[in-house]
Amino acid sequence: MGSDREHRVLAEDVRAAVSRGIDAHATTGAMRIGAGGEAPVAESYASLARTIGEASFRVTDEQVAAAHRQAGSERGAFEVVMAAGIGAALHRWDAAIRAIEEAADEAR
Amino acid sequence: MRLAEIERGDSLVHRLLIRMISRIAGYRLPDAARVAFYDRSFAGPALGRWTQKAMRGPSAWSVSERELMAAMVASWNTCPFCVGAHRAISVRGMDPAVVDAVLTDFRTAPIDERLRATLGFLETMTKDPDGLSASDARTALDAGVTVEDLEDAAAVAAVFAVITRNANALDFELPSAEEFDRAAVMLLRRGYS
Repeated sequence: MGSDREHRVLAEDVRAAVSRGIDAHATTGAMRIGAGGEAPVAESYASLARTIGEASFRVTDEQVAAAHRQAGSERGAFEVVMAAGIGAALHRWDAAIRAIEEAADEAR
Repeated sequence: MRLAEIERGDSLVHRLLIRMISRIAGYRLPDAARVAFYDRSFAGPALGRWTQKAMRGPSAWSVSERELMAAMVASWNTCPFCVGAHRAISVRGMDPAVVDAVLTDFRTAPIDERLRATLGFLETMTKDPDGLSASDARTALDAGVTVEDLEDAAAVAAVFAVITRNANALDFELPSAEEFDRAAVMLLRRGYS
């Protein structure tokens, strides 16, 4: 349907948008942790991002409240949440594209 | 909702809009829509554009099939809000019994092999991305799925990897079944961006 390249462009737009957070160090770090990696961010952010990446249904009120206190604003806490989810999502997207391309190459 | 500012809106325009839409619709505007209104200078608009493309753009997958994929990702991620929301849209174009059979066990549900094999790919992508391999993709391609179809489906799973995490981490309020049905009409009419 002529859409595959466009998905890749839109995925990169989402990735790039994470650095537009009010605390870009926190959001880019949360994105890496959400993807299963490590980053030198405050422990309240790291704990929240790790839980979001691995099992978001286990996130607690206290984790979000701690990120809120660390950020000093709800917007800052929200951006850490969103960045962690984007990290988890793009980790999966990148893996899917690699798998699809390898299978397509083998079929040629 | 764990962050009150998202619930009420972060500008006068958004606060009024949330109230107006809720009044006209006759039910509380779901938290997913409130998140879409919030912090528009961050990643939300970019995610909205990709979600619109994945869910409503040209694709060999029907809108109902893509909504069902979204509901499955939600189920794998233990997100009751997104299961309810996207099941409610999916059943507007598919037999509800089939949708529920897929949600119970897609391996035995009465669906075509293209969709079944694609759901297998999306399940590994969602639950074990580091274990996803060319062999998983090949299984779907061997079932008649094209590279483009598989990439369209992977885009659905990717955007819902974010949306389900937002819903869980922010603790979205769970609408009633009737409210999910009414919201489904709005999402079919207005889309995601």
